[in-house]
Amino acid sequence: MHRTVPSLPLAPSVKVKLINAGFQVASDLIDMRPLQLCKEAGISQEEAVEVLQMLRDDAQPHQQRAATESLTALDLLHHEQTLGSIVTFCSGLDNALGGGVPVGKTTEICGAPGVGKTQLCIQLAVDVQIPVCFGGLGGKALYVDTEGSFLVQRVSDMAEAAVQHCTLLAEDTEQKQALEELTVEKILSNLFLVRCHDYVELLAEVYLLPDFLSEHPEVRLIVIDSIAFPFRHDFEDLSQRTRLLNGLAQQLIQLATQHSLAVVLTNQMTTRVSNGQSKLVPALGESWGHAATQRLILHWEGLRRLASLYKSPSQMEATIQYQITVQGFRDAPDEPRLASSSGNYSKRPRMEDLS
Amino acid sequence: MEWEQFELNPRIIAAVKKANFRSSKEILCVSGPDLQRLTRLSKTDVLRLHCAVAAAVRKTSPVTALQLIRGECPVLEPGHRLSLACPVLDGLMRGGLPLRGITELAGESAAGKTQFCLQLCLSVQYPEENGGLNSGAVYICTEDSFPIKRLRQLITQQSRLRPDLPPALIHSRRLTDSVYIEHASDLEALQACVSQRVPVLLKRGLVRLVVVDSVAALFRSEFQADEAVQRSRHLLAFSSTLHRLSHAYGAPVVCVNQVTDVMDGPNPGRCDYGLVGSKVLPALGIAWANQVMVRLMLTRVAGQVKSDCRSCAPRKLEVVFAPHLPRASCLCGVWEEGVRGIPDDALHDE
Repeated sequence: MHRTVPSLPLAPSVKVKLINAGFQVASDLIDMRPLQLCKEAGISQEEAVEVLQMLRDDAQPHQQRAATESLTALDLLHHEQTLGSIVTFCSGLDNALGGGVPVGKTTEICGAPGVGKTQLCIQLAVDVQIPVCFGGLGGKALYVDTEGSFLVQRVSDMAEAAVQHCTLLAEDTEQKQALEELTVEKILSNLFLVRCHDYVELLAEVYLLPDFLSEHPEVRLIVIDSIAFPFRHDFEDLSQRTRLLNGLAQQLIQLATQHSLAVVLTNQMTTRVSNGQSKLVPALGESWGHAATQRLILHWEGLRRLASLYKSPSQMEATIQYQITVQGFRDAPDEPRLASSSGNYSKRPRMEDLS
Repeated sequence: MEWEQFELNPRIIAAVKKANFRSSKEILCVSGPDLQRLTRLSKTDVLRLHCAVAAAVRKTSPVTALQLIRGECPVLEPGHRLSLACPVLDGLMRGGLPLRGITELAGESAAGKTQFCLQLCLSVQYPEENGGLNSGAVYICTEDSFPIKRLRQLITQQSRLRPDLPPALIHSRRLTDSVYIEHASDLEALQACVSQRVPVLLKRGLVRLVVVDSVAALFRSEFQADEAVQRSRHLLAFSSTLHRLSHAYGAPVVCVNQVTDVMDGPNPGRCDYGLVGSKVLPALGIAWANQVMVRLMLTRVAGQVKSDCRSCAPRKLEVVFAPHLPRASCLCGVWEEGVRGIPDDALHDE
């Protein structure tokens, strides 16, 4: 930023005015506002805006350029492997997802109220910060809360549990060193929250994400909890809703690949009646089903909470059991209950062999 | 719309005006390529336009959870809760009701739902250091007329329910004066009430608690079984009004809900929230449940509980779901002075 004003690619008349007003190097100009500059240097507002835009563009290296290069499948594979994924602290779900929630892709979590969508999101926002030497990503997280259900009390519960978990795992000196920095405060300070009250604010937030991400390049996870809430209120025009949602999905996928981060969206469930039978399906309609790369459905089955991987380009469909504890999203305990209390146990002796 | 307020190249502003855009919302709802076509601006110009408009719409920039927990952003995380006026119940709720969001209290008739709501209407009036919000409450009745006698009785017994408060504080408050009562006998009246009169009360700072007793009554009676789509649309409109009010004023909204009987076995079309043994589920289905942040359920339990030589039928208050609470429950009793939770150790003594 020590470029002198005469060396800037500007019209000579503008340069003369800037130098006469006392601007010597580019850094003198960069913090100015257009109106201020227009007054001080005596140039028109249009010229002032252009000068400042030129300076800003100059300061930022172009990120889009990489996208146009052609890559081979092998390059992509290597690239994807280096991105890694965010562990969930529930080994069953990690296995089903192939190591955790993948970075560089969008994942949608659907489920009935109270089944644990927000819990899983908060867990991911904490887990994305696990240091690299513990097999984590050491990243930061941005949480976009549209429902108002993000309660910081809960985050600090999970952060505490995560720190304890890592303390138990620490073996070598590198891990012990990393542990000194991993505190509840640190985890909380690396978790950013935005609250959006309606869909317009949500759309605005997504337009501002690229700027936020270049300010905070360590962000590896964006959570939107939930995408359904703002879009299911005050919407009469359903075709406009579909259009906006498609645009949003597109922007999010772009962000996920360009900035190598995981995007996690939550969605509500709704009742669909077909052939006289009702069943629960994810909300926001059929076309939204194509939006996310992966779709995970959380549901109840009796007393058990189950997570089903419903759509994934790389993993088998699978259903696993989990539980929500004070510590967060965890594996369900091994079930002696299922084997002993199930009435038709005798009819299915193979159960034992499997477990 | 004053487009000049945006720090944009006058060329872009002129193009926006020419294309007849009237609000930021209209700009944000048009995708980049469409906006390029409509305004005949270049791709980078459109990007700048989107960012400038988005920045103007955004109210707060991202804050960290650390700032929230330290109370640096009281707008987003007030840090305190509305006390239920009983240490045992507050313990179950980790301090009380969250200030933002809809809390639902479901239960059969005579489970004690109204008793809870009345108690909250009084608790909200105490200063913040005593678990209140230093403001009144608005009570919207849709089923019965307001139980004014019971409220009077609760007020005279306040010092018995709240031994933690100095008696002078209790006597200094004119508790009945700050409970505003609204009656809504049909949906239209209810919608008018929450969209016109309640905002005025909240805005003037007269109330900071909204109780709707009950949501189920009107929504269940005014729609036939085959009007489910219409019903859920009305429910959504109603709940989004409440949601907005709650967030704008930091005022908890408590909605009483009825329950429906579970007639058949497991049904894939119904979400039972893991309430397996229960013969009843909260009414109004998943459309309503999606709007609720904290769902509590009250059920009558067989047996008797005693306190000071009096006895009553125990109730179980259960947290069905809440973003910050584990699924848990506690027993409570309804007494002359109000609802009180029964500590676990007291149960083991018997």
